[in-house]
Amino acid sequence: MPSGVREGIIASLALVPSVFVYGTVFGGLAVQAGLQPLEVLGMSIFVFAGASQFVAVPMLAAGAPALAIIVTTYVINMRHYLMAATLAPSFRAFPRRWLTLVAHVINDESFAVAVSRRNPPDPWVFIGSAAAVFSAFLAGVSVGTPLGGLVADPARWGLDFAFPAVFLALVALQLRRRADWLVAFVAAVAAVAVALVLPGTWHVVIAGSVVSTAAAFVLSPQDA
Amino acid sequence: MWLVIAGMAVATYLTRAPLLLALARRPLPPRLRLWLRLIPLAVLPALAVPMILVTRDAGGARLAASLGHPPLWGAVVVLALAARRVNLLVTVGVGVAVVAILRALG
Repeated sequence: MPSGVREGIIASLALVPSVFVYGTVFGGLAVQAGLQPLEVLGMSIFVFAGASQFVAVPMLAAGAPALAIIVTTYVINMRHYLMAATLAPSFRAFPRRWLTLVAHVINDESFAVAVSRRNPPDPWVFIGSAAAVFSAFLAGVSVGTPLGGLVADPARWGLDFAFPAVFLALVALQLRRRADWLVAFVAAVAAVAVALVLPGTWHVVIAGSVVSTAAAFVLSPQDA
Repeated sequence: MWLVIAGMAVATYLTRAPLLLALARRPLPPRLRLWLRLIPLAVLPALAVPMILVTRDAGGARLAASLGHPPLWGAVVVLALAARRVNLLVTVGVGVAVVAILRALG
């Protein structure tokens, strides 16, 4: 096992409890909403994008048209384009067949872990982290589907806060130059402004792409 | 149901695979490399900060920046620990505990 895989798994341990608990919550909610256990598990394996799954379940329960659910899923997950672009150069040496699999496990948490350890990110750290997050989520879903959510209100235990905490701590590790601080700060302000007016994850897509692109034009390529 | 799940899976895969496959092959010009380095610096705060400062419910989205808002204090603690290069597991554990305790008290 490449040492990066181990490093990626260890770096993701802070997230495993929260990912697991939210997996149980998702499994419980989806069954209550009328999905069969096999469908819940299938969705978690083949879609594997928590935010969009949480949005899809009440839409399914309300009998929303299939196309509306699929388009909503796409829009919520558009932020993956930015992560895939960032990760791509790290996987140059990998066979194409592997990339089609690696693409499927791109997720916010493993992206954050991989980019904060090295830049450009180490592909094995990403793979290790994705393995940990994927396993924790599926384990949570498998437990939550028959038993219902293990924790009625994860927010009461602060578990919802683990996600922004990890993202914040990991971005803090990357702020080396003054320009980095400026990019992070402007993106945060822009994202808050967009999140106040647009639903879903538009704020990540818009603030993430507009601010990084504008900064790439303004800053000198020597900063790369 | 399986049709919807398959549609969701395809839609999600289309957000993940194309750029990973397209950009993994060729050498990238310096400005594109700069852009790729800047993406996480923009995406991570864009993910995190609205989770902390924006509350969403049936009534819409609101800025939740009052001193009685536990995630705000959690974020202060997390940033202070991260700046000191404290281990991630400890940083997140302390942040979660701060938020849980403040919510229990509130």
